[in-house]
Amino acid sequence: MSDSAVQGVLYGSLAAGAIGMWLATSPRTAALRVLGAFLASAGLIAAVAMFSGPGGDVTNKILFWLFAGSALLSGVLMVTSREPVYAALWFALATLGTCGLFMMQAAPFLAAATIIVYAGAIIVTFLFVIMLAQQQGRSFYDYRARTPIMSIVASWLMLAALLWNFQAWQKAPMAAAGPALTAEAATNPFSQPSDVDQFDSLRALGLSLFGDYLYAVEIAGTLLLVAGIGAIAIAPRRAEGTL
Amino acid sequence: MDKIFEYIPQGLIITLVAIVAAVGAMLGVISYLILLERKLSAWMQDRRGPNRVGPMGIFQPFADGAKFLLKEDVIPANADKVLFLAAPGIGLLTTMLAFAVVPYGPVGAAGAPWFLRFIIVPGVDIGIVFIFAVTSLAVYGVILGGWASNNKYSALGSLRASAQVISYEIPLGMSVLGIALLGSTLDIEKILTQQASGGFWSWYFWTQPLACLIFFTSAMAEANRLPFDLSECEQELVGGFHTEYSSMKFALFFLGEYTHVITTSFLTAILFFGGWHFPWIATAESAYAGAWIVKLLVLLAKVFMVIVLIMLLRWTIPRFRFDQLMNLSWKALIPLSLANMLSVMTVLQFGWDRWLLGPISIGLFVLAGVISVGFKRAEIRHRPSAAELSQQLVT
Repeated sequence: MSDSAVQGVLYGSLAAGAIGMWLATSPRTAALRVLGAFLASAGLIAAVAMFSGPGGDVTNKILFWLFAGSALLSGVLMVTSREPVYAALWFALATLGTCGLFMMQAAPFLAAATIIVYAGAIIVTFLFVIMLAQQQGRSFYDYRARTPIMSIVASWLMLAALLWNFQAWQKAPMAAAGPALTAEAATNPFSQPSDVDQFDSLRALGLSLFGDYLYAVEIAGTLLLVAGIGAIAIAPRRAEGTL
Repeated sequence: MDKIFEYIPQGLIITLVAIVAAVGAMLGVISYLILLERKLSAWMQDRRGPNRVGPMGIFQPFADGAKFLLKEDVIPANADKVLFLAAPGIGLLTTMLAFAVVPYGPVGAAGAPWFLRFIIVPGVDIGIVFIFAVTSLAVYGVILGGWASNNKYSALGSLRASAQVISYEIPLGMSVLGIALLGSTLDIEKILTQQASGGFWSWYFWTQPLACLIFFTSAMAEANRLPFDLSECEQELVGGFHTEYSSMKFALFFLGEYTHVITTSFLTAILFFGGWHFPWIATAESAYAGAWIVKLLVLLAKVFMVIVLIMLLRWTIPRFRFDQLMNLSWKALIPLSLANMLSVMTVLQFGWDRWLLGPISIGLFVLAGVISVGFKRAEIRHRPSAAELSQQLVT
């Protein structure tokens, strides 16, 4: 297939998926919803099928499908589950599946940090809130989709943008197996990978973060600091009688 | 026999032996640690402790195990069955998984049999971060168990547990950063060999005493051990998150807690007290026959001492109040660990002598003590008297 044909199929299937999801969320007859769900999953599968499968040996392939499949399945179950606690747990499992994929990309620190931050802290906080607000039965707003078209457009646009990027990467020659950070990709001399490193895999990550992406890291840190100060400013004082 | 070994990859045998040794020893040791804890508690309280089953009660663990297996297995009527059953498993699984990267003997020591590796997963260069990541998942067991029991005491216990574990993860992680900076690695094996090859005075305890204290305290809080076991305190919450659990499911929670204690003790001994290193008898150079056994025994002795210390603390320090618990983490341990990390960074950046870190740590500790005592005294001085309080109430 030519490049334009591939892109046509990719975006066509994505558009079909978006329409299917819109049908699935609309409060019409059940048959339409089933058709919508079918169309959405078919579009998604067709879009993903445009990409080549995982590389490496059999073990690698099995592990990839195990982690990717569990992440995908838990993601779907998280969105569709009716109990908030179960949704939070499926979210945690999706995070763990993604961390498995990080591990396979030889990024153990990223995997461990994601587990600590997401599964270990953020979702625990979610559970904390859900338990405090433990409701008997579900509220009406759990059944309703507000502005479904906006969210569908936003989510599928983001998916299309991501897939377009992946496609561009797949065409590049450096996609062959090797270190994730290749010498060509490294823009500063520190972050070029070396075979014999007396320090561990963390060194490359740290040098890249605080060399190539210094401004991004600093901006993110400043943003977090501002958010923290804002949270403290918003939080009610003890004198105001809420704590 | 050799024919058979030809067809089995040697790495597989080594890993299987490591797993079987770790898990089997863990389960066996835990049952006797429970007996030890009961005996120690009894001695500290001027009692005799369990002494009916066998001489000195040494067969008590078997009786306990039989009791766990034979007791009625109750699932409350309105409990969330799936999560109620999954919670103890999650608790034990995550704490056991954390042990995978902990070296429980002299890794790579000369003279040891080829099938003994003393670590399940060797060469994980983010070892400490991996342990923190996996143990941060252990709180799911507590939270889900408490929530799924459909019992208010259990839910309160699990709420407390989640707040406590999130708060204490921060000082726990930051206290080890000093060592990571000094050794420029997060690999537990490498940290151990650095101390072993450096000799007695390069144990990280001497340069990082404050970090050791913070690490030990936060790890106790993470494991829900007694000064910090607010998620299961008996006076207020019956049994906390495990109120509704009985028989083997309760035992799994218990096993998880003890596994956590053992992992913590191993980490304390390895990160701060040189692991298997001890002057004269077990150094990096000691090459006499059976040196690996001595090294193994030295490490296990250190771990045993830490475990006994944890058990003694149980009946020495009374349980914290919940606001005290939160204050200790957010107002004392986190600033102290930050200051400790900053001092390590300063010393390394300007190339000062590492020995300065010991006095700096002690100075920080004293400063924190002076500040907290000063604040408490100021608070007491400005506390309104009874007459003023009644005046305020009237107006």
